[in-house]
Amino acid sequence: MNSRKDLLTIRALSDEDIRTILDSASAMKELLTKSVKKVPVLKGKSVLTLFYEPSTRTHSSFEVAAKRLSADVTSFTVSQSSVVKGESVHDTIDTLQAMKMDYIIVRHKNSGIPAVIARHTRASVVNAGDGAHAHPSQAFLDAFTIREKYGSIAGRRVVIVGDILHSRVARSTSLILKRLGAEVAYLGPGSLVPLERHTGIPRFTHFDDAFSWRPDVIYLLRVQNERMDSPFFPNAREYHRVYGVTEERLKRISDLDLAIMHPGPVNRGVELCDLAMEYRNCLVNKQVENGVAARMSILYHLTPHTRQV
Amino acid sequence: MKSKSPLYVTGARDILAGECVDLFLADGAVAAVAPAGGMRVPQGVTAVNAMGKLILPGLFDLHARIGITSKSLTDCVSCTSQAARQGGVSGIQCMPDLSPPLDGAAQIASLMEIVSCRSEIEIIPAGCLSRGMEGEQQAPYDSLRGKGVRMITDAGRFPRNILMLHRAMKYAGELGLTFALRGDVPALTEKTCAHPSVTSYRLGLHGSPACAEEIGIDTVIRLAADAGAAVHIQTVSTGAGASIIRRAKEAGQAVTAEAALHHLLYTHECMGDYDTNFKTLPPLRDPEDCAALLEAVNNGVIDCLTGDHSPCIPFFKKQDFCSAPAGMITLDTWLPALYTFLVKDGRLSWKKLLEVCAFNPRRILGLEIPELKEGAPADFVLFDPEGLTEVSPAFLKAGALNTPLLGSRLSGRVYPL
Repeated sequence: MNSRKDLLTIRALSDEDIRTILDSASAMKELLTKSVKKVPVLKGKSVLTLFYEPSTRTHSSFEVAAKRLSADVTSFTVSQSSVVKGESVHDTIDTLQAMKMDYIIVRHKNSGIPAVIARHTRASVVNAGDGAHAHPSQAFLDAFTIREKYGSIAGRRVVIVGDILHSRVARSTSLILKRLGAEVAYLGPGSLVPLERHTGIPRFTHFDDAFSWRPDVIYLLRVQNERMDSPFFPNAREYHRVYGVTEERLKRISDLDLAIMHPGPVNRGVELCDLAMEYRNCLVNKQVENGVAARMSILYHLTPHTRQV
Repeated sequence: MKSKSPLYVTGARDILAGECVDLFLADGAVAAVAPAGGMRVPQGVTAVNAMGKLILPGLFDLHARIGITSKSLTDCVSCTSQAARQGGVSGIQCMPDLSPPLDGAAQIASLMEIVSCRSEIEIIPAGCLSRGMEGEQQAPYDSLRGKGVRMITDAGRFPRNILMLHRAMKYAGELGLTFALRGDVPALTEKTCAHPSVTSYRLGLHGSPACAEEIGIDTVIRLAADAGAAVHIQTVSTGAGASIIRRAKEAGQAVTAEAALHHLLYTHECMGDYDTNFKTLPPLRDPEDCAALLEAVNNGVIDCLTGDHSPCIPFFKKQDFCSAPAGMITLDTWLPALYTFLVKDGRLSWKKLLEVCAFNPRRILGLEIPELKEGAPADFVLFDPEGLTEVSPAFLKAGALNTPLLGSRLSGRVYPL
């Protein structure tokens, strides 16, 4: 893999980059099963997590990944900082620059912020989710989870269900799966799925049509609470009935032996019925587990421009 | 650039008549015109040899912003004036979204005092449509008119209170003021910054639907028809929007319209990887819209081309796409850009260019039109089509750098008189 400073999008990576990161994620996962779970590859390096949006999984997953690689991790908590006073991202980075960070892991509600930061710092920038744009580490852990389940990704069919419009997960995960030879389709209401001619991804409007397509994986996206206030759909009950994995649909999914995935955290009773979480092919916890390995691999493969100094 | 001191210009090519002329300008007017070589230049009077250059009326841009937050109003006026001069522009209509906004006679008076001593170009103030541009209360239209205002606009913002707009049209339409509005439905375009497209999907930006512009234009035109007011549609960005205007014109309504050059030249794809220089309001649309707008300019549906000149502090455009302000600067490069992108390859004739960039804007505002005939205002520029304009940071005088043309080389060069 060529030396890369940042990971901002899947699009920017070559096929070789994608395979290299996935392959070493397997090695990292194996490492996590050993009694000593730490390797010294990032010893002496400092990692900063800069989360402008709340996150439980991604944040702790990156933190654990960095610590397993023996890096020093600092969290910059936004609510306690001057960001709420209107400080620009540039000024924040200038301030943080003084701490000589090697890696900055950033999440922000605005699309494109990680790219702005990456241009402004010598540290490696990892996009941990920006607006509706990209979430590349999620894409890697999803691809990794599917590969682990089926042995390969090429030829697999994945239906991504729900709020595509606002979803960075849908964008990044569909991209990596397509690059690896899978077929992807979207399923959701017109108010939450952009036009097919804009996405380049076929769209279903009903679960039945999606089932007839003979998919391998049903990937449900989280419904954000704020979407329920602004009327993208009438209410959670109706959403669940039309676009959720109801108990009835779960039976069908089980009969067809399909896998269920979700980036978490799950809204029970909205995207998934309670029983779905206990379904034998529900990969949600696997995704969380694989998140650490995928993120270790990402950090391992980036090269900050801070080293030579 | 109204020349005050006597000046002879010899051998310049009059593009409309297709011949070369000599001219004598004095006291701000054309004192004499003659075929080239027909004028004897007396000793001691300044003469410009304009062989090989075109003589054109100074252009007029109906839609320009002059405010930059870090600069005083005085500096803003001189920057704008210098930028306009080197772009071949001799007059602009200044949008009222300054700080404070031009929503009263006093604000306009203080601006015009600065203009009178700092500007070398004509600056006509547009007045606010609503107080503080908040879309709720009418601005004092008659006082604004008394200070030289001809158009009232909230500079791209669509009034929240449509009843206020309807009544304002009934009230101020009779004062002879023209309502300038951009087609928009704010509820549909709030928090958006791109055209819904492959690009907006790829970049994860919320899309501003074209139908918002169409509905907005239709609303404005119907309200104006009912109220009997003259209306000017600003920065039309969609082909469908232009069609609505065409139908109103065919029905004989007092409607005029403008399009911004960038909506004829660029599409959403230019946004590339979040290039904030291509963030505009309304957003850059599909190639079909660019083509439809060019056609609408050529067939007279769109009366004026504007730059929608919008300077900002350089830092602002270095922010992420959602946070960066919309707009680009256009005055510095105006005539060379029009020549390079439209005239040179025959997409727009010189005649049409002068109509939409010099004559129609002045007609709409009721200003005198500079023509090559005795007694007309001496308001001309020389343009060398063989020359070059290097758009470097040092070249730009507008006090801002937010143009996608920065670093490029345009065909043609302006010589202000």
